Amino acid sequence: MDLASIVYLGVTFGMFVIFALIVIRTYSRKRKDEGEIAKYQMLDDD
Amino acid sequence: MENQPYNQAIVRSFVNWSIVWGLVAVLVGVIVSLQMVEPDLNFPPYFTFGRLRPVHTNAGIYGWGVGMIFATFLYMVQRLCKVPLWSDKLAKFQLWFFNATIIASAVTLLLGYTTSKEYHEMEWPIDVMVVILWVVFSINIIMTILKRKDEQMYISLWYMLAAIIAVAILYIVNAAAVPVSLFKSYSAYAGTNDANVQWWFGHNAVAMVLTAPFLAMFYYFLPKSTGVPIYSHRMSIIAFWSLIFMYLWTGAHHLLWTPVPDWIQTLAMGFSIMLIAPSWGSVFNGYLSMNGQWHQMRENYLVKFLILGITFYGLQTLQGPMQAIRSFSAFIHYTDWVPAHIHMGTMGWVSMIAFASIYYLVPRIYGRELYSIPLANLHFWLILVGQLIWSISLWIAGVLQAGMWNAMNPDGSLTYTFMETMVEMYPYWWARSFGGMIYMTGLIVFIYNLWMTAKKGGSIAAQTTVETTTVEGRA
Ligand code: HEM
Ligand code: HEM
Repeated sequence: MDLASIVYLGVTFGMFVIFALIVIRTYSRKRKDEGEIAKYQMLDDD
Repeated sequence: MENQPYNQAIVRSFVNWSIVWGLVAVLVGVIVSLQMVEPDLNFPPYFTFGRLRPVHTNAGIYGWGVGMIFATFLYMVQRLCKVPLWSDKLAKFQLWFFNATIIASAVTLLLGYTTSKEYHEMEWPIDVMVVILWVVFSINIIMTILKRKDEQMYISLWYMLAAIIAVAILYIVNAAAVPVSLFKSYSAYAGTNDANVQWWFGHNAVAMVLTAPFLAMFYYFLPKSTGVPIYSHRMSIIAFWSLIFMYLWTGAHHLLWTPVPDWIQTLAMGFSIMLIAPSWGSVFNGYLSMNGQWHQMRENYLVKFLILGITFYGLQTLQGPMQAIRSFSAFIHYTDWVPAHIHMGTMGWVSMIAFASIYYLVPRIYGRELYSIPLANLHFWLILVGQLIWSISLWIAGVLQAGMWNAMNPDGSLTYTFMETMVEMYPYWWARSFGGMIYMTGLIVFIYNLWMTAKKGGSIAAQTTVETTTVEGRA
């Protein structure tokens, strides 16, 4: 593997880590209600 | 909220113009399909298959698809942020510049100017117009989001932002070229790099034009139509981020078995398969949102369009990853299987969602109830049947074609000549034209229904009157 492929895969891996953090944050028990509030708010208007 | 001075007039104009371009796309689609079976229908130099085909694809994706993205984003952003548009003037400029860009594209394509990059055929002066158009649109949407009243952003806003940012990046990177005259330029990339950038653009155009914005619409118009919130907002957020992360790597699945490095192809194949998860995350969210509401499939014509639309999306995102597997690709690549995949996506998923969005918007933008629900139902069945005939006949054609291309005699020579395989396609291509005409009839019924709504309409809902009055004052 040359440098370009290592960078390519490195960026991919980095993005996976960011993604894992987003999952953990979204599904944290503390944020359960906050995470669902928008779906009710969007029905208010109209 | 009803007294908010939302700008509906601009939404109405974008809806109307998208329909015009949608009709052009479908009409030219039928014509090019007939040109494949009746070569005498080619009228050189302007009206040949080679020139009309990109007019069809660009009118479909950019005129109809992007026109509807403009219409619905400008509508949804005001509602979801509970504030009026940041700038009405900019939106009006966007409307006329959009039409000018589409017309300039169609005219230059018919005159034979092309970069030859699929879905990016237009020469550099039009690229400049596209960039101006997108920047104007982006500023208006982003500034409106920044003014929003609720802190939490609904999932549709996430998809909208992603589409806005990603399209800008994709388009500019793939547009990099050296102009040599007013209508001729050469790509800044060479060889396999050019191919790789082109299909990184190409497949992400599928993701960011034909997928993300239509998911934004689906997540907005489904709960609005049923009156029940989506099943899980958090699940939609996870599906969103995984879709964003995965799509970026899949472009090379268009280049399997080419000189592009093997590991890039393998990466694209792996990520394409993984894409099933976020895609079906949205499909499940949609189906689960219908819990206890399935009776609305019978009673509410809007829900029919939306659920069929998301079902086609689900099928499309199972078929797509399959096509991205090397061995399967070796069989179906270059065959008629691929256009069938595309049209399940464009005529099924994209157009079904666009039609549902328009039906939902009608009372709000015309200030009248829809003229005829039976006609809306007729429209639904005509486009469904038309699209199924289109896709199914071409799937069969694709498998037959692949089978004939691969057939070998015991001595290793090919069993069929290329011409023999072409002749076998004729019945299927006729069937496609027939399906296309049924689809077009459905579209005409739809346009008639809207026309009559604008002219006469049904009874006026009280709430709608309030909304339109405030808006008319502003338009
Ligand atoms: C998980 C999602 C998807 C995957 C993995 C996928 C995969 C693929 C693959 C592998 C091809 C190339 C076929 C070939 O030439 O051999 C293709 C073509 C195409 N797909 Fe999909 N697809 C997906 C979803 C969609 C959706 C939702 C649409 C929306 C309309 C769509 C539209 C297209 C188009 C327009 C092409 C043609 C590109 C060309 O002109 O060659 N796809 N897809
Ligand atoms: C009645 C409806 C339609 C008909 C009859 C039709 C017909 C066709 C035909 C004959 C082709 C050329 C296929 C080939 O080269 O082998 C084509 C390609 C294409 N059409 Fe359509 N079409 C229709 C609707 C649409 C719509 C609504 C869209 C977009 C929103 C669309 C997007 C495309 C695209 C992206 C391609 C390129 C396919 C490829 O690269 O293989 N079509 N269509």
